[in-house]
Amino acid sequence: MAKIELTDVSIIFNAHPQKRVSLKEYLVRGLFRPSANPPMRVHALTGINLVARDGDRIGVIGHNGAGKSTLLKTLAGIYPPTTGTRIVDGKICSLFDIMTGFEPEATGWENILYRSYLQGETPRSIRGKLDAIAAFSELGDFLNIPVRNYSAGMMMRLAFSIATAIDPEVLLIDEVLAVGDLAFQTKAQARMRELMQSARLMVMVAHDLVSIRQMCTRVLWMAHGQIIRSGPTDEIVDEYVAAMHRQAQPAAAA
Amino acid sequence: MFRHLSAVWTARHFLLALVQLDLRLRYRRSVLGVGWSLLHPIAMTIVFTVVFSQLFGDSNPVGYAAFALAGLAVWGFLREAATSGSRAFLQNEAYIRQSPMPYTIYTLRTVLGQAIHSSLALVIVVCLLVLWKGNPGVLVGLALAIPGMIITLIAAWAIATIGAFINAFFHDTAQILEVGCQIGFFLTPIMYRRSLLDQRGLGWVVDINPVNLYLSVIRDPLLGGIPSPEGLVQLSYAYLAAVVFTGVLVGLAAGVVSWLQKKVIFYL
Repeated sequence: MAKIELTDVSIIFNAHPQKRVSLKEYLVRGLFRPSANPPMRVHALTGINLVARDGDRIGVIGHNGAGKSTLLKTLAGIYPPTTGTRIVDGKICSLFDIMTGFEPEATGWENILYRSYLQGETPRSIRGKLDAIAAFSELGDFLNIPVRNYSAGMMMRLAFSIATAIDPEVLLIDEVLAVGDLAFQTKAQARMRELMQSARLMVMVAHDLVSIRQMCTRVLWMAHGQIIRSGPTDEIVDEYVAAMHRQAQPAAAA
Repeated sequence: MFRHLSAVWTARHFLLALVQLDLRLRYRRSVLGVGWSLLHPIAMTIVFTVVFSQLFGDSNPVGYAAFALAGLAVWGFLREAATSGSRAFLQNEAYIRQSPMPYTIYTLRTVLGQAIHSSLALVIVVCLLVLWKGNPGVLVGLALAIPGMIITLIAAWAIATIGAFINAFFHDTAQILEVGCQIGFFLTPIMYRRSLLDQRGLGWVVDINPVNLYLSVIRDPLLGGIPSPEGLVQLSYAYLAAVVFTGVLVGLAAGVVSWLQKKVIFYL
């Protein structure tokens, strides 16, 4: 059984507005005079409560910087909560930042291996999947050359093929991925749908309200690091659309 | 801590695949292959042997070369663990942002690669010793040095981990360490023998230098061959000191990990 439980989770960190602090600056400034570069407290998430069980398909909406991606990374275990507790049971598949983290000097095949190991595969479990990943990427002989020679579209194909090859229990998706050329896009969308159906639990961040309405059973509306509304998909999305129109109209009138 | 280590164990396939890649990249793209990356310590050794074995009145050039190369291998390993190891989180940032793997696998990636690299230099040392002594005592020395290598590996992992966490918060740490290593090289008995300092009453410089602990459990048994009874006692003291100091380093590293592992991602 897959489940997610966030209890009163907050994420707070310090960011320096100007630049990083060096050890020299820390010692000289910190000891002798107040810093000219004071840290700024960033409240990325505040008091998030979320419970999800098998079968839940959760959509997360909100404006840029509302904390949607931070929420997803917290669920994935990448951002540890500053306060509160996070419990996630089940094998997690996270589809975000998939374009980064390639070893540029290694070949496509090798990168498939590294990525799969990173996602928790073992040499035994990956053996059967290698060919399927390669076939889905349609990269053929290009898999034998270092990925530093790949175009952005080829990288995306490879990344997508690897990331979606595992059978997830908890699926975390950030934005709908625009993948490669038209033919591949159709294929990728079919694969995504398949994944979303097979995953026991899904959390999806998207600005595309149509796919949210299609895919999700529940929606969270986030603003300023907080969940301001949550409930059935259509109800919350309608409210969200109405609120966005109200915001846009005065601006258009002026 | 044990939970952390078991998480590292779970990530072993990922880790070993990357270590393998690092080594292959390092030795590819050069005509000399493995030889190319050994050129630096070997060239240093030749220079040292030609210049210093005369200067320090060492009558046996092969013996001196083995001494210098063994010292350089151990020193180079610890130096790279500290400096390259400190950059491990920045280099592996993309992985860190994607997957909740234990952070220490990234420092272990650097340290393991360096360990294999330095072992190659030690293989040459063993060859030199066989050439010089021509008896099986060399193998006894090697056997006595192997636990020392393992202890040094653990210490290097701890140093790299501490350095990497500090470097994530203060990006000039790696540079400061580099300067420190540059100075440390001359304060460590690598190209000169300890007796040279003892004669001048400067033996304490070596005594307070922790690098010397690792030299005395790798280089000294390796060069010593079959030890005399007194030598064996001395060696066990050296091992004791190295184990205790490594234990302190590991404790420090474990403390740093548990203190900072929840914060470090916001500073990368």
